[in-house]
Amino acid sequence: MADEVVDVLIVGAGASGAAVAWSLAETRMRIVCLEQGGWMNPAEYPSNGRDWERRAAKEMQVSPNLRKRPADYPINDDDSPIAILNFNAVGGSTILYSAHFPRFHPSDFRVKSLDGVADDWPIDYATLEPFFAENDNNIGVAGLAGDPAVPAHRPPLPHLPMGRMGETMGRGFNKLGWHWWPSDSAIITRPHNGRGQCLNLGPCNTGCAQGAKSSADIAYWPMNERAGVELRTHCRVREITVDNRDMATGVTYFDADGNERHQRAEVVVVACNGVGTPRLLLNSTSARFPNGLANRSGLVGRNLMLHPWGAVAGYFDEPLGSNFGPQGCCILSQEFYETDTSRGFVRGYNMQITRGGPPVGTARGGIAHGTIPWGAGHHDAFDRLFGRNIHLGICCEDLPEEHNRVTLDPELTDSNGIPSPKISYTLSENSRRMLDHGLARGAEAMEAAGAWKIQKAPSPIRMAGWHLLGTARMGTDPERSVVNEWGRSHDVRNLFIVDGSVFVTSGGVNPTTTIQAVALYIADSMKRRLAELFD
Amino acid sequence: MTQTQIIGTDNPLNDDHRRILAIVLDLIVPASEDGQRPSAADVDVLGYIRETEGHTLDGLRAELDQLDAEAFESQGEAFASLDPATRQALVDAVREREPHFMRTLAMQTVTCYYRDDRVLEAIGVGARPPFPEGYEVPSGDLSLLEPVRRRGQIYREA
Ligand SMILES: Cc1cc2nc3c(=O)[nH]c(=O)nc-3n(C[C@H](O)[C@H](O)[C@H](O)COP(=O)(O)OP(=O)(O)OC[C@H]3O[C@@H](n4cnc5c(N)ncnc54)[C@H](O)[C@@H]3O)c2cc1C
Repeated sequence: MADEVVDVLIVGAGASGAAVAWSLAETRMRIVCLEQGGWMNPAEYPSNGRDWERRAAKEMQVSPNLRKRPADYPINDDDSPIAILNFNAVGGSTILYSAHFPRFHPSDFRVKSLDGVADDWPIDYATLEPFFAENDNNIGVAGLAGDPAVPAHRPPLPHLPMGRMGETMGRGFNKLGWHWWPSDSAIITRPHNGRGQCLNLGPCNTGCAQGAKSSADIAYWPMNERAGVELRTHCRVREITVDNRDMATGVTYFDADGNERHQRAEVVVVACNGVGTPRLLLNSTSARFPNGLANRSGLVGRNLMLHPWGAVAGYFDEPLGSNFGPQGCCILSQEFYETDTSRGFVRGYNMQITRGGPPVGTARGGIAHGTIPWGAGHHDAFDRLFGRNIHLGICCEDLPEEHNRVTLDPELTDSNGIPSPKISYTLSENSRRMLDHGLARGAEAMEAAGAWKIQKAPSPIRMAGWHLLGTARMGTDPERSVVNEWGRSHDVRNLFIVDGSVFVTSGGVNPTTTIQAVALYIADSMKRRLAELFD
Repeated sequence: MTQTQIIGTDNPLNDDHRRILAIVLDLIVPASEDGQRPSAADVDVLGYIRETEGHTLDGLRAELDQLDAEAFESQGEAFASLDPATRQALVDAVREREPHFMRTLAMQTVTCYYRDDRVLEAIGVGARPPFPEGYEVPSGDLSLLEPVRRRGQIYREA
């Protein structure tokens, strides 16, 4: 076993690792994926039980530092106003994601040419277009064709229900003359690939008990395993090993019993996300790579982008049933997505309308903020909030800055003794202005929609570091990028990176559809070049 | 009542504590006037705390003792023997002075309260977990998108 060489070894079974495995499987190469977490059991997700809100807040906590499941590794994010959120299991962070699935815009790949900031990507929207579509079909994406804010595309499944709350916000946006549209969502609204359709359970980001949310464990891995990909769970990779010709030889990992093992491979693909990937590369030091593998540019871990997040809540007089429906997916507005320098910042943001709070969340929030009193007024106050509140998230494009970075913490380690990541991140002036603009426009939208009370949360929201991007950027210049335009390391010719680390810029939308499109594009590039992959 | 009975995990509060707790729970969430929603005193909040956040019981006990002590000090009587208006005034005064007083209990109370069958029925979500029945959500009126369609493309070509 130890001497056996697999063709492709993928580290990480999340959104990107799953997509790459699917695409490469048709080559009939021997593909193994090592994942530090195990399989999740949807029958155990909180929404199966009455006590789901309490369980969700503990077991399915978004921060690994608070959740502390055995597969989690601690992350020192004290030096960042935004905490790092993830999930470590087969399916990766998609176990928790809300599945809001808007695509990047063509302009997102050309920020330098169009707006004079950051760098252009070495690829463009047209290159990725077929892979967006392929991914949509694979996992099942719901939406409404015709959105004039993005290039034409036809989501394979009908859009999710907007509900009365979506209509209410839509009318508000119409009053202002602003764009809005039902969101593309990675949630199936019709049976798809043997999975049942969405039942509007609500708490998508505590794991979907119905299996309608297209998390990578259920949307990709069953297909991958049927196609012969071997997935080894509870295997945590400590480092990628290299020979003296700068070629990766495989990985050293700890198996489920804590035994250290080595797996040899012809090709290593890293898919550990924008924090896990630089951590693994920085932990992979050797005489030829004293500063971490594939890091001759010094850029591994740098340019971390997190999408600073703002939030506005609106409360309405009439019952909207806003507590029902997939929590993070309803409608969006991209009115302020494209650059308009008269706003005082470059680039832009997406407004994501999300559903109202569930019963316990509404009551606890009301008690905490003093909007639900003790005593006789409790029930009336609860009724005025519950099912009548709408939330608006502001997803700001974060520009790359080298000082925003992932390094290794000198002391903190995971349960296998592997050094943990440390985050150093500050909010730029451009992001601050964009957030302020978004909060003001969000409040304006709520007012236009008829809210009697509007609350702007102090932003950036700390518990919102769910988009992890930029820490092993893509580019044609080895001095200014970590991987080339098809995901191969400039320094190690059989090492590929396929997750959000390779993003040159962050766009202003939730990134996973673009992450998976990039992963499929890289896999396709590999397949096209199989004969000369290492040239 | 022996010491072990008072602090043992099976019997976290003595009878006095329980009496005060029931009064306080009713002050946090009384029954609704239409009778559809019970008082929090009628929901097993203590059982819930023991099951999920047992480590907070010491703090709760101390807060219940504090109420009794303040009742004796200001009124010369046990908290439970005060008339409802005086109890309310006393609790209000302590909360005014110490904003965090019984905040944990209030949070635990509503967390437990909003999973009770009677409450969930009354607020319209049904006495059941979300799965497997789910909920109906209206699809929404797509004709509202007309102005957005009319305006046409707003993204930049690149
Ligand atoms: C609460 C929450 C809500 C979100 N909502 C949305 C949303 O609505 N829309 C959206 O687009 N995105 C959303 N996201 C983000 C989305 O989940 C991520 O963008 C996506 O999962 C990233 O894919 P990935 O493959 O890069 O990494 P991940 O999916 O995080 O997968 C990485 C995998 O690698 C494994 N791994 C890491 N290190 C090692 C190692 N050393 N050895 C072995 N295995 C390892 C991890 O265990 C993990 O399974 C959300 C995220 C969270 C946490």
